[in-house]
Amino acid sequence: MDFLNLLARLADLDSTAAAPQPAGARRAALGRLGQAGTALLPGLLLGALSQPATAGTLDTRTRLDVLLLVRQLAALGNELHSRALGLVPGYTALPLTAAEKTGIQVIREQEVQRVALVSQLITDGGATLPAAPRYDFTGSQNGARAALYPDIQTNPDTYLLVAQVLKDAAVRVYKTQVEFVRADIYLSELLLRSHTVEARHASHLRTLRRQRGATVKSWISPDDAPVGTTGTAVARVYAGESNSVQAYSAADNGALTSVPFNSTLPINVATPPLSPEAILRKVAEAFDEPANAVVATDVAALFTY
Amino acid sequence: MADLADTSFSGRALRRRTFLRVAGATAASSALVLAGCNDKKEDNPTPTPEVTTGTLTFKGDDTGIFNLTYLLAQIQADFYQKLVTTPPADFTAADKEAFVDMRDHAVIYREFYKSVLSTNAYDSNLTKALEFNFTPYTLTTRKGVYEAASKLEDLGVGAYNGLGRRLRNLSYLRLLLKIASVKARHAAFVRDQAEPNSFAGPDVVAITGSQASLDTVKTPVEVATLLSPLVPAVLVADNLMLL
Repeated sequence: MDFLNLLARLADLDSTAAAPQPAGARRAALGRLGQAGTALLPGLLLGALSQPATAGTLDTRTRLDVLLLVRQLAALGNELHSRALGLVPGYTALPLTAAEKTGIQVIREQEVQRVALVSQLITDGGATLPAAPRYDFTGSQNGARAALYPDIQTNPDTYLLVAQVLKDAAVRVYKTQVEFVRADIYLSELLLRSHTVEARHASHLRTLRRQRGATVKSWISPDDAPVGTTGTAVARVYAGESNSVQAYSAADNGALTSVPFNSTLPINVATPPLSPEAILRKVAEAFDEPANAVVATDVAALFTY
Repeated sequence: MADLADTSFSGRALRRRTFLRVAGATAASSALVLAGCNDKKEDNPTPTPEVTTGTLTFKGDDTGIFNLTYLLAQIQADFYQKLVTTPPADFTAADKEAFVDMRDHAVIYREFYKSVLSTNAYDSNLTKALEFNFTPYTLTTRKGVYEAASKLEDLGVGAYNGLGRRLRNLSYLRLLLKIASVKARHAAFVRDQAEPNSFAGPDVVAITGSQASLDTVKTPVEVATLLSPLVPAVLVADNLMLL
């Protein structure tokens, strides 16, 4: 066994020589982000690369890309909710109840604060903020094509549906973005803490919709009524969410072990027990699945022109 | 650019390749693979963590982190089960349905962590499971139940937000994140039931200063302190603070 340990140590040594330790990488990365003008060289902002979620294109993103994405989604949400509340000239407030408005205001304020926080980080890092995009939440691209949600500015149900989809998309996409900033403790925690706020918002919007009669739980469930035609950007926000298979590798990059939800784990505790299919639906509810950035940017693109 | 790219990607690939090459050159023995993968653990063969004389000490590594989330899941599963079995008199059908869902989710998390931890679970050698104490809460009224659930779910969200960056194993982090947002959904739901529109209230999501728009975050020691009234053991999470 000593000989085998020696081999393992040799492997460790080998990699140590080739690559500085994580702490060094983090310091170097922080130093770079602090230098003015690094935004001109996006390569310098390279964070930790993640494994591609699927075979095919490798999604590689810098810390700047991640911050810009968070800002883009928060700014989009701010505009959507501001228009719904009648805070934007030219847009009449939706007929929401006073209680509904109160909750939407909380969400909107937190979007505004997130835009401010992330904008500060981007400019502190030496990058410039992109110009504000133009929004059309009917999805008609300012009349260039048929509207996807023609009554979004008059019908609260339509507005709440779109708001929920955007939040659920953000929750899924933030999960993958964390992997690109793992070397940076501050940004990791910022993303984690923003990610759970997005989930709180999504849950609240889902609760509002359920109170208005929609078939939807406060957590993403296979029992939710479908939100769009299969294959559209909106439906893709929920693609793969019904997955009930979870896996992990005990060692970094080791073999995957599947969690035996469908066989040996005693998770079916209801009286009487649920059907095997029904308990796996609960498993699907219990885990929100990650998604690549494109899932959110595709939805954002529907409303931007 | 080159240096960062090297550390974050090429370096990792080299490490993996080197390991495989060294492993493959020797023998196709599963014992070898285990020896190589467990190199660090063998330096410290103490089981992780232990409950001895009423003290539960979390080890300063991924298994210590997962033991803390395992304990949280055990507490929440027991909490929801208790209320599914004996709901307060003013619980509606919708309340009961939601609690059955949250009970099922918590049981799924508990069994998930137990399965991943296997013999590293703190209670794998205990003959009797810990019995949690919910007397700090008022569980006889709907409002009391939802307030208690809010405390537990917010604590879970804060705990996960503090633990994420301390995890080393990426596949564990992915799973933690998959669960964290569902806990935040639970938290928002139960808070809204306890107090309308409190889903992201200022006691959990800061509204001023440099933390504005960010959700609650708790250090492992804060989590242990908040859990201690519920757990019949002294919780020691100091090792997790070093991660």
